[in-house]
Parts: sequence; C-alpha cells; structure tokens
Amino acid sequence: MNARAPRNQQLRRTWSSVFETGTGARIYPYLMVLPAIIIVVGVVVYPLVSGVMSAFYDVTLRTLNSGDMAFVGLRNFERVFADPSFGIASFNTLVWVVLNVVVQLSLGLGLALLLHRAIPGIGFFRSGILVPWVVPSVVAVLTWRWMYDPSVGIVNELLVRWGIIEDYHPWLGDTATSLYAVTVESIWKGTPFVMLLLLAALQLVPRSILEAASMDGASGWRKLWHVILPQIRVSFAIAAVLTFILTVNNFNAIWLMTEGGPLNSSEILFTLAYKYGFQRYDLGMASAVATMLFVGLVIATTLYLKLIQAKEGE
Amino acid sequence: MSSAAITATPAGTAVSVPPLRRSWTPKWLRVGFLYAGLWVAFVWCVFPFYWMIATSLRAKDELFARPPSLVPHSFTFQSYIDLLVGAEFWRFALNSLILTASVTIISVAISVTAGYAMARHRFKGSVALPLFMLYGQMFPPVLLLIPFYIQLRWLGWLDSLYGLIPVYLSYMLPLCVWLMRGFFSQVPHSLEDAARLDGCTRWQAFWRVILPMARPGIVAVATWVMIHTWNEFLYASTFILSDKNRTLPLGLSGLIGQYTTDWGMLMAGGVITSAPILLVFFFLQKHLVSGVGGGAVKG
Repeated sequence: MNARAPRNQQLRRTWSSVFETGTGARIYPYLMVLPAIIIVVGVVVYPLVSGVMSAFYDVTLRTLNSGDMAFVGLRNFERVFADPSFGIASFNTLVWVVLNVVVQLSLGLGLALLLHRAIPGIGFFRSGILVPWVVPSVVAVLTWRWMYDPSVGIVNELLVRWGIIEDYHPWLGDTATSLYAVTVESIWKGTPFVMLLLLAALQLVPRSILEAASMDGASGWRKLWHVILPQIRVSFAIAAVLTFILTVNNFNAIWLMTEGGPLNSSEILFTLAYKYGFQRYDLGMASAVATMLFVGLVIATTLYLKLIQAKEGE
Repeated sequence: MSSAAITATPAGTAVSVPPLRRSWTPKWLRVGFLYAGLWVAFVWCVFPFYWMIATSLRAKDELFARPPSLVPHSFTFQSYIDLLVGAEFWRFALNSLILTASVTIISVAISVTAGYAMARHRFKGSVALPLFMLYGQMFPPVLLLIPFYIQLRWLGWLDSLYGLIPVYLSYMLPLCVWLMRGFFSQVPHSLEDAARLDGCTRWQAFWRVILPMARPGIVAVATWVMIHTWNEFLYASTFILSDKNRTLPLGLSGLIGQYTTDWGMLMAGGVITSAPILLVFFFLQKHLVSGVGGGAVKG
C-alpha cells in the first residue's frame, strides 16, 4: 500500500478518498463490518444472553406485565426436572436424534454412492432425489400428514395392499407409532442434504486411488471400507454433526403433525420448551429447557468447527 | 500411486495380481441392480410430491373415497379455483413476498461489505469474527424465541410483518456474512491491485471491480435468504397472531381444521407455495450446490 501512496496523490478526489490515508484508512475495514456487527449484537448476542438469563428468573405473562421479574436461581430447572413430561421428552429426543442421524447418514451415503457414477440418466435421478430437500418444510410435513391419514391415507392403503398390515392404522394418533411416523418424514426430508454433502466429498476422491484399489482386486465392500470411507471421513463427520443440529432443531415436523402428542408420545425437548413458553406462558421454564438444549448444541457446534478447521488444514 | 496401492492392499501381497474386477457378477446384472436402486430411491423421494399434486387435482368426492387410488380418476382445477378466489390466499402471498424481499435486500446489503472486509482486510477480530458468524447460525431458535417474544412485546411489534424482519435477520445474517466471505476470498487479489493501479480508491475498487466479479456468489446468498425466509414457520407462527398478517406457510397450516380439513385445497396451496422455490432452485442449482459445499449450510 505504501509503495502506491505517491500515485494516489494524483487521483481525482472523490468522497471515498477519505479512506485512502491516515485515520480513514485505519477505520475503513471497521466501517465495512460495523452494520453487520451492530445487527448481530442486537438480534443474536443480546437475545441469547437475555434468553439464558431468563432461565434463572420468574418470567410469566403476569410478571412481564407488572415488570417485577424476580431472580429464582435454579427454581425453573427444578420445576422442569419435576415435570414427568420432561423425562419422556428427553428420552424421545434421544430416540429421535439417534434414529434420524443414523438412518439419514447411512441412506445418504448409499444414495451418494449410487449417484456417484457417470451413467446415462444420472442427472434425472439426481434431480428427483433432491426434491425432498427443495420442497418447503411446512408443505412437506402437511403432505405427509395427509398421506398418513387414518381413513383415506395412501400410506395405509399401500401397506395394506402389500400385505404388511391388516387394517388401516392411525400412525400419528397412536402413542406407540407417532414418534416413528414423524421420524420417517424427517428422514425423507433430511437425507438428500446429507447425500449432497457426501456426494461433493466423493467427487473429490482421486480417481487414481480407486483405480489402484480395483487393480489390486479389492472387492466393492473392501474398497468402500478401506479406501472410500477414510477419504471422506471429514465430510462424513461434518454431515453427522449438521444432521444432529438440524434434527434437534426440527420443530416443524413434529409440531405440524402431532404437536408432540398424543400424550407426549412424540414430544421432544424443543416442542416441550415451546409448550412451556407459548401455551403455559411460563417463559422461565421454557428458557431453562432451551438453555439445556443450547449447551448440548454448543458442544456439538464446537466439535463441528474443529472438524471444519481440520478439513481446511488438509 | 504406489503408496495408495499399498494402503489399499492388505499386506501388500496382491500387487502383481491381474485385474479381477469382481468377475463373480456379470456387468449387466450390476447395472441392473444399480438402476433398480436408483429407481427405488427416486420413487421414494418423489412420491410425496407426486401425491401432493395428484391430490390437488382431484375432485372433492374422490379425495375421501376409500380405498384411495394411486392415479386420479378425475381431473379438475376446482381446488385451485377455491383457493385463489378467496382474498386471503393473495394476502398471505403478498405478506410472504414483502417479508422475503425486505429480509433479502437488507441481509445482502449488509453482508456484502462485511464479508468483503473479512476476506480482504486485516483488522482486530478479522479471524475471530467469521467463526463467530458461523456459530451464530447454530444457536437453537427456541432459545432466541423467548427473548424475541419479550422484546417484540415490549416494542409493540408483535403481530406485525416489520417485527419479523429483525427476527429473520438473526436467523440469516450470520450465515450470509460467512458465505460472502467465502465467495470474496475466491476473487483473485490481482484484479483489485490492477484497479488500484489504474487510480481507483479502495471503495471504488470494491464497488466497481470486485462486486461485479462476485455476482454469482451474491446471487447464491440472496437465493438462500429468499428460500429460507419464504419457508420459515416457527417464528412466524409464534409472533403473528392475526389472520391478515399471516405468511404463506402459516396460512397453509391454518387450513387444517379442528374436525375437517379440505386437503384438496391445502395441497393446491402447497403446490403454489413450492412453485417459486422449485423454479428458483432448478435455475440456480449449480450455484446453490456449490454454496453448500463451500459453507456447509442449514438445510
């Protein structure tokens, strides 16, 4: 920059010349990022801090109106732990997350391997398989809700026709199946994104390595396990953490199909916090649950950033 | 090459073996399996979408016929007409449009300069800030939901479209900055240097040279914001209370009745809500997919 300083002096002066020298040059980058920083502090950092804080205060509609929110320490957490639906929701969250992550990753990997070929018509299949990812989530969830309809749903009809079930079943209305029925939708919606991430990784695996493995007589499975998977392991881990975060935060699927019911059978921590907050209007309890979720997510996100940095370092 | 061969071969014994190429399955069989797998995946992924369209085109009495048939026997646009004749749906669409346009314009305008500065300039925080932006994307919406509610209530902005704008910015802006930074760091430095030698100020070099170069990236980011704002449901459903301020996803979910639901109309609404997203996506598929690869984004 200094070498060009003499040149700059011959320039026609414009308003932006202020930023060429001295203080102007020093604050220039700060001015460029300032609007973004102000907004992020205002709409992310501040709400985040006050969200965590309200987990330790008595915040309800009544105290909000009167303005005297008292500090209650861990009382909100105690009340959450005392609520039997919290236990159910925690267990459901575990099932929900494990099922989603495991199935989405294995199906996603399978699809990516299927699509990672130069055969005629592959573009057609690829576009079709991306459809669930592209359809707006609310539309997708409502469509599935219609497909699960207990009296005229196509899911019931197909299962009966194929002889898997005897009679129509209320998949979303039965406490034994509601969580799994929603999980199927969530897997359907999430897998294409995993596939996309893994496909991008597969396309970076050097062809020469695969050819060398084939030349040496490695069979398909051996090649997958010993050659392909080690090559894409970072992307695979990133996909796993991302799927985890997206699943924990997947509100639409559960809310629009079952609202966590019947009898909390498909309640996850997210929907439970939402109910505390916006049905019982006990925002303190809602914040307590949300804060616990947040801690879990921060751990996952830290892991995720470590992985990304590892990838960039490769 | 040779080192790769060794890692791939247990104990390195098979190096001299001639190519085996899985001779135990004939090629036509493998290709057959491959296509069978592709078709299964294709049908699984596309079927609900097909079912939505098929439902929206059926006559009302066929909708509730039992058993449901895979191929519609009747074909009518009645559901679409029912939906579009009422003024409500247009209102929802207009709300969605206004909201999407404002959020997109604001977040792109703000993230462009921030992303550029983070990619090109060294200043205090030029390393930590982008990482923080990525973190910002991961905060659980349910934790932000409660303070937003308290805040909007306090400001009197509950149940208004403009109240949703800052809320959506919290959801989109950090990611936009992160993605923009990625795109700007791909534009070669030499271009900027050339512009500066030709007498541009730093701002002019950015505005006249770098910005046009980064247009594909900007389009990709803008598309991302549009799609997510258009689809957003959680915040809208919590903060919008009156019918007239509903967005499209909210309007759709409102079509579900307590006792009966007109699924034909609902699915027609689904088709119309999806249409712009599908169009945008298939026109910009390349940009979006590369954006995902570069930034690893929420789905």
